[in-house]
Amino acid sequence: MSGNAPSKNESSENRQPKNKPFLVVKDLCKSYGTGDAKQNVLRGLSFSVAQGEICVLLGPSGSGKSTLLNIIGGIDQGDSGSVLFDGHNLTDMNTAELGRYRRKELGYVFQTYNLIGNLTGKENVEVGAYLSDSPLDLEELINTLGLSEHKGKLPGQLSGGQQQRVSIGRAIIKNPRLLLCDEPTGALDYETSKEILQLIQDVNQKYGTTILMVTHNEAIKHMANHVIKLRDGKVRTETFNPEPIQASELEW
Amino acid sequence: MVDWGLAMKGGKKNPLNRRILREIRDEWVRYLLIALFLILTVGFVSGMYVANDSMLTSADEGVEEYSREDGHFILGAEAGSTLLDDIANFDSSNNKADGTVVYADFFKNCTEDNNGDGTDDGDIRIYEKNDNIDKASVLEGRLPETENEIAIDRMHADNVGLGVGDSISAGGTEYQIVGLISYVNYYSLHEKTSDFMFDALKFDVAMVTSDGFVRLDEPVQYNYAWKYGEEPSSDSEAKDLSQDFLDNLNTCAAENGINMLDYVPAYANPAIRFATDDMGADKAIGGVLLNVLVVIIAFIFLITTSSTIEKESRVIGTLLASGYTKRELVFHYMAINMIVTIVSLVIGIILGYTVLEDSVVSMYYNSYSLPTYHTVWSSEALVKTMLIPLIIVFFVNLIGISWKMNHSPLQFLRHNLKNSHRQHAIKLPDWKFFRRFRVRVMLQNLPNYGVLFVGILFVMVLLALAVGLPETLDQYKANASDLMIAPYQYMLTTDDIPQEIQTQAEDDNAEEFSVLTLERPDSKHVENVTVYGLQDDSAYVEINGLGSLEDNHVYISADYAEKYRVAPGDEITLKDKYSSDSYTFTVDGTYGEASGIDVFMSQKTFGDVFKDNSNRLSGFFSDTELDIPSSLVASTITEADITKMCDQLDHSMGGYMRYFQVLCILLSAALIFLLTKVIIDKNERPISMTKIFGYTDREISSLYLIPTTVCVVISAVICAFIGTGITDMLWRQMMLEFSGWFTFAINSTEIIEIILSVLVGYAIVLFLDFGRIKHIKMDQALKDVE
Repeated sequence: MSGNAPSKNESSENRQPKNKPFLVVKDLCKSYGTGDAKQNVLRGLSFSVAQGEICVLLGPSGSGKSTLLNIIGGIDQGDSGSVLFDGHNLTDMNTAELGRYRRKELGYVFQTYNLIGNLTGKENVEVGAYLSDSPLDLEELINTLGLSEHKGKLPGQLSGGQQQRVSIGRAIIKNPRLLLCDEPTGALDYETSKEILQLIQDVNQKYGTTILMVTHNEAIKHMANHVIKLRDGKVRTETFNPEPIQASELEW
Repeated sequence: MVDWGLAMKGGKKNPLNRRILREIRDEWVRYLLIALFLILTVGFVSGMYVANDSMLTSADEGVEEYSREDGHFILGAEAGSTLLDDIANFDSSNNKADGTVVYADFFKNCTEDNNGDGTDDGDIRIYEKNDNIDKASVLEGRLPETENEIAIDRMHADNVGLGVGDSISAGGTEYQIVGLISYVNYYSLHEKTSDFMFDALKFDVAMVTSDGFVRLDEPVQYNYAWKYGEEPSSDSEAKDLSQDFLDNLNTCAAENGINMLDYVPAYANPAIRFATDDMGADKAIGGVLLNVLVVIIAFIFLITTSSTIEKESRVIGTLLASGYTKRELVFHYMAINMIVTIVSLVIGIILGYTVLEDSVVSMYYNSYSLPTYHTVWSSEALVKTMLIPLIIVFFVNLIGISWKMNHSPLQFLRHNLKNSHRQHAIKLPDWKFFRRFRVRVMLQNLPNYGVLFVGILFVMVLLALAVGLPETLDQYKANASDLMIAPYQYMLTTDDIPQEIQTQAEDDNAEEFSVLTLERPDSKHVENVTVYGLQDDSAYVEINGLGSLEDNHVYISADYAEKYRVAPGDEITLKDKYSSDSYTFTVDGTYGEASGIDVFMSQKTFGDVFKDNSNRLSGFFSDTELDIPSSLVASTITEADITKMCDQLDHSMGGYMRYFQVLCILLSAALIFLLTKVIIDKNERPISMTKIFGYTDREISSLYLIPTTVCVVISAVICAFIGTGITDMLWRQMMLEFSGWFTFAINSTEIIEIILSVLVGYAIVLFLDFGRIKHIKMDQALKDVE
């Protein structure tokens, strides 16, 4: 169920979403280093994401997409500009406030699964549940993730795809409003990648979670409502996809 | 917008906690070793606290229960009741003097033959049984009831293998032992107040009935013990009262024409104080050793945890990015360390209060003549062996782990945890690859090697003591004859030697000297200083120009100079034992061939300086035994007197030293094992990867183990010297608490021995480490690849 996702009937590629944007990035700049070594990663970048969207950030290596995701995720800070989440400016928040923001609002999925080696798959998911006052139903989520048969296994006993499912479970069990995925299929094979992308899409449809996904895989844009292409720290194109396809139908 | 305030978890269990037991199970060798250290150390130290407190409580209770004296004095003749009343009625501003009573507590000094072979085995001081003062607790059997019965000191009986039912001969008179006792004024068997060490092998105290006392032929020692109306509450109060008492005693004795042969207030009596003071010192030393070990363990925990944090860097980054707070993660990573610590401390304390308390008690009963005791609850034990170690581990880990966690989530995710701002690796010379690799391993593990150094230093201090103490005693015993001024040294009871004795002594080529015992006033304890007045051309103490020294210029013994760091040209001030008179001398030089804290001057100077001092005595140095009536001899010093403290120390502690040495080697091996385990664990993946590249186990071991070997060898050599220095310093501090002096001796062979001890321990670890490296599988490099 897509909840607040844009309707498939809205067909214009450059149309703004109908829903009120709850993530607004405006004139965001970020650089690393100083002097001759200074590298401008984000150069006045602006866009907005509506609640319930699957938004894909595309771009080549070094285009600034991971940096952008980290700033939105509250684990890095921009030099100037603003990032508004539900009206609150992340750039004004101190470390503790950013911590609370991450705890309550965000789920994070990385290319590397970063699971805790001596906790089972189910227990790794519970690590996320602990952070929420109203987590999703654990068993139901385990089923949704297709992990029922593997929930008692340690990460070392799971395949890459299964580990990534666990990491998605850990991120979404706390029922976050925004799920950030940084190259979630980067370490997976073709079939497994499609399964994981389908799972992310299912999560979006089932729980209404807004998804912001960084990838360098152009094909993935077809499953997104909203596609932002970055190059040299700037938004090169921003498109809206009125008819995203199911991830299982993706090909590359 | 939702409320971002942190909701209380309302009893919700943190799922991360489930890792704790699994982590302990996975690393059980590490945690078991650490736990064993803590359990044994805490157990032993808490056992020591409990045993000491219990025995000290019993000793305190004994002061009243067995009417322990507040001091005693020996007169040259028996005092009548009027004189005793006069002595007891002394003036003092302290109202505790009111109600002071002086009791007769006569004894006779005899020789003891404890195996019936007709030869003397030692000395026995036999007291006449009384119901008023300095009573004894019975540890086995009963007190004597007939003239043929005797109760002897329990400690001495144990040492020489006597028991109830056996017979002994005292001064040629036979008695049957009916009881083993502990006199309240002889918790340690110090024969004289100037004895450095008690002698439970060759000195005994005993009790016989009045009829049994008459059976002995030896002269009566007119010993009187006094007790104040109320117990002094501190040493300084006891000293003030004692001085007032002494002033009156001097007056009374002089008025009645009676010599005073000895005066010993309880606070200065080692037979009363030594055991309890030693227990106090043991507690302090035990507490310090425990704290040092706990600090080392706290750092081992910290290094281990830091290594885990580095290993789990990306997981931590993910958890932080997901909303876990640093505080939650800091406490999570502290949890295992705290749980292992708490469990170990609790087990240690339980063992301390049960099994190990008995071991400590038997250790003390092996040295001291202590009364029976009952276990008392020691809150000090709980604080010092539970709370303080807990606080140390908690804060070392809290500060260290917080510092380690002081990175942004992004830094954790990128595995960028270097706290230094150095961006590039240290440039190394153009060495061969293997050498550069090893130096890199060394640089990577510098904190581990730092803790390793401290741990080895700690072990070296203990090892230096374990190896050095027997050597110190052996060396002292070997040099004992050189340290004797004369093979026989007689201290007489008077300064007025009868003519016939003097003539006979001259015929025997004996040399007369004058002597006076003074006190060093600013010592931590009462240090008796023997001042000799020597003949100018003394054949026994050969000091050139002694007779031509300026007034008040003296020589001192080398022990005096070393103990109190006195150099020629310095001034020393000594105080009379029985009055407030003090004497200041200038030191012209030191005399090395004497053991003891002595001052030497010419007889002329001695006569001038102490002409008004009625306590000065005479004596003889002689190469042969002199025939002087025992009533005139206050004491005789022979080689056996010099070496008896070594015998006693050897008996009390010598046997433990070898075990202690083995324990130290195990301790160092375990410490090194724990730290090298961290290094190997940290490098599991690179080791695995080098295996994939085709390096052999031998090559890999040489890459990872040689740096540690180099560090261990360098640390062992440096720490052996520093540790010996520290032990020497601690020894000096300890000796300042006692009478007399002997130098801590450890030679280069023994320093090599302690270095080799640590290296032998390391060799075992090396073997285990080689096995560990060999067992790292190649697929390790491919697991958990991030």
